[in-house]
Amino acid sequence: MEAQNDSAQALKDCAPYVRFAKLDELLALGRANSLWPLTFGLACCAIEMMAAGASRFDLARFGAEVFRPSPRQADLMIIAGTVNKKMAAAVKTLYDQMPEPKWVIAMGNCAISGGPFVFPGQYAVIEGVDKLFPVDVYIPGCPPRPEALIEGLLKLEEKLTGKRRWPIVKAE
Amino acid sequence: MNPTTPQPPDSSPQPVPAPAPAAPAAPKVAATAGPQAPVISNQSSVTGKPAAAPAPPQPAPALPNPLAHLSLPFRGVDYAAKGYHAEATVAPDQVVFAAEQLDKEGLSLDTITGVDWMAEGQMEVVYDYFHPAKALRVVVRTRIPRDNPEIATIQKVFPGANWHERETHDFFGIRFLGHPNLTPFLLPEDATYHPLRKDFTQC
Amino acid sequence: MLVKDQLKTEVSADGAPRETFVINLGPQHPATHGVLRVKMTMDGEYIVRAEPVCGYIHRMQEKMGENRTYAQFLPNTSRIDYLSAMTYTHGFVGAVERAAKLQVPLRAEYIRVITSELNRISSHLVWWGAFLLDLGGFTPLLYAFDDREKILDLLEGITGSRLTYSYFRIGGLYNDIDDTFINGTRAFVAQMRPRLKMYRSLVTDNIILRKRLIEIGPISKEMCRKYGATGPVIRGSGVAYDVRRVEPYSVYSEFDFVVPTFEEGDSMARYLVRMEEMAQSLRIIEQALDKLPAGPVMAEKVPRVLKLPAGDYCYAVEAARGRFAVRIVSDNKEIPYRIKLRTPSLSNLSLFEEASAGMLLPDALALMGSLDLVIPDIDR
Repeated sequence: MEAQNDSAQALKDCAPYVRFAKLDELLALGRANSLWPLTFGLACCAIEMMAAGASRFDLARFGAEVFRPSPRQADLMIIAGTVNKKMAAAVKTLYDQMPEPKWVIAMGNCAISGGPFVFPGQYAVIEGVDKLFPVDVYIPGCPPRPEALIEGLLKLEEKLTGKRRWPIVKAE
Repeated sequence: MNPTTPQPPDSSPQPVPAPAPAAPAAPKVAATAGPQAPVISNQSSVTGKPAAAPAPPQPAPALPNPLAHLSLPFRGVDYAAKGYHAEATVAPDQVVFAAEQLDKEGLSLDTITGVDWMAEGQMEVVYDYFHPAKALRVVVRTRIPRDNPEIATIQKVFPGANWHERETHDFFGIRFLGHPNLTPFLLPEDATYHPLRKDFTQC
Repeated sequence: MLVKDQLKTEVSADGAPRETFVINLGPQHPATHGVLRVKMTMDGEYIVRAEPVCGYIHRMQEKMGENRTYAQFLPNTSRIDYLSAMTYTHGFVGAVERAAKLQVPLRAEYIRVITSELNRISSHLVWWGAFLLDLGGFTPLLYAFDDREKILDLLEGITGSRLTYSYFRIGGLYNDIDDTFINGTRAFVAQMRPRLKMYRSLVTDNIILRKRLIEIGPISKEMCRKYGATGPVIRGSGVAYDVRRVEPYSVYSEFDFVVPTFEEGDSMARYLVRMEEMAQSLRIIEQALDKLPAGPVMAEKVPRVLKLPAGDYCYAVEAARGRFAVRIVSDNKEIPYRIKLRTPSLSNLSLFEEASAGMLLPDALALMGSLDLVIPDIDR
């Protein structure tokens, strides 16, 4: 009993200096805080993605400003724009080249379901990128505002860590 | 250009007479008061029959033809109503000559496209040109049979036509004879369909 | 022989066949501004042949034109070239209005000019930031997007959208502007002029930029004419072709502005054309605000079900990238028979193969950036 009390006391004493947590939670926190997106802007949504990375909306606050050109170094693929049948093979290749763990955000209506380019007799657009590979977060909009992209990123972080770490902004 | 007897302004391109009696001639190009200058008829695109009932002369004032000095059947067009200054309907074998003449005039190639007149069994190839120094936008049209759409390329005159012709081939299946690289441009490399044809269904 | 001339042959100077390899630039690449693939046959760092392959963002705009009514097609026009969306919508509604002989109220025309010029400035800012990013400088992108956010706030106040406005409608505009917009635009013009001066001293006069752009990628007047290149590409090669001046539309003939033209034809000339154009757009905006008339912003009697008389109709505008023209072929139905979109980026890129032969790869990228391409504009 005394030994137990000692170690419990020891834990209390070093609490200001040392924290203990499950490895999974630490890894999840690290991954969520430093998602590295792949530069994959296809069309109009890419501009809003660039605006989200610029200084007003600032993805750097969330650790996600390091857009990597190479899929080997990225762990988040933000599909921003319409995926074409001609482009689908390239998109799938890029997804396959990303190392695990990897996540996908479908940004914009085109990536979710083909967007405004679906009509009877359409021959070129893939109706939603989740027909190619699994998607983690869907951000609707045409194009979604940069704030919507950030909210989508926070939803992904919530998926990774299990809890939402940033307050939900209420409309005024 | 040999003057022939002035003919009443002919306000439509000379179509192959459509088989169905209800189908009218090609949509009339609105309000093109033809010049009183002679119009060279396009023998090879007409079956030899005279044009059906020429419309009575429009009371509109004669529009100036900025390209009257060329030996091509240009006529002046009301720019405010249509958006271009002159147009000509030529035979398919005259398009290269037209391109060369307009090149000498200093015009630049705007675009080439097709229109699928399925009801008439024809495809129209439309060449748009613009002048980089003055307000002069010119349209050259021609018609080719729909079931065997072939026409010479103007790529040697205007290298920019290369991509426009590839795109027209993609969308309509029109073959440009002499084109160095008539492979799909906007469609996937293995595409065999031509989506802007009016009888295109799911590929 | 000069290196550039050597590379045009397949055999090097000492008679041995040259070893070349083919690499792909894109379709996913930070510098291609969209999904463009360029198949490059390379001899070391020199390009033997660069063949652009397009179609990776082909979104069937022209086919959609045959499946939508005129009003339903309007949002598509913003998405052809999303950076210059107002001017593209202007091209389309202009063609429809010309065909239907609708009289757009004067106030609407002036507001169209003001918003189009604001859009032009925001498009050039994105071009500028992205171009400098290609050349290796990251900072101007942040400055450019900062200025652009001010424009987007102004436009969002009246249109509700930041990027793909469908503000112009057939017959006018759907919403009038208010004092917030007018005062905000005047304030923006006042603060943008010193920013342009700052960009000049920070970036344009920078020795590294000058070495990267001067005499790089020369394009002659004749090449522009043969390929149909327009916009800053042709104005950087000495031809003062601007649709707003040569085929004036809307109320552009009311304004006093210069069409910047530079003779050299290199990438620096095209760069300077766009920087100057931003300053000229500010002038146009000021004049338009001063002359803004009162009145309605929508034409009377725009038919709910719009059918254009049979025939074909064209309208051309000067978009940020060059001449954008719409040709509508109608057969007197609600749905157009054919819509043809003549886009500037396609003609501008078509000369890339000839212009880039023999160039170093980084120089070719400087040339491509100076052409200011938006790939959905090419693929439609």
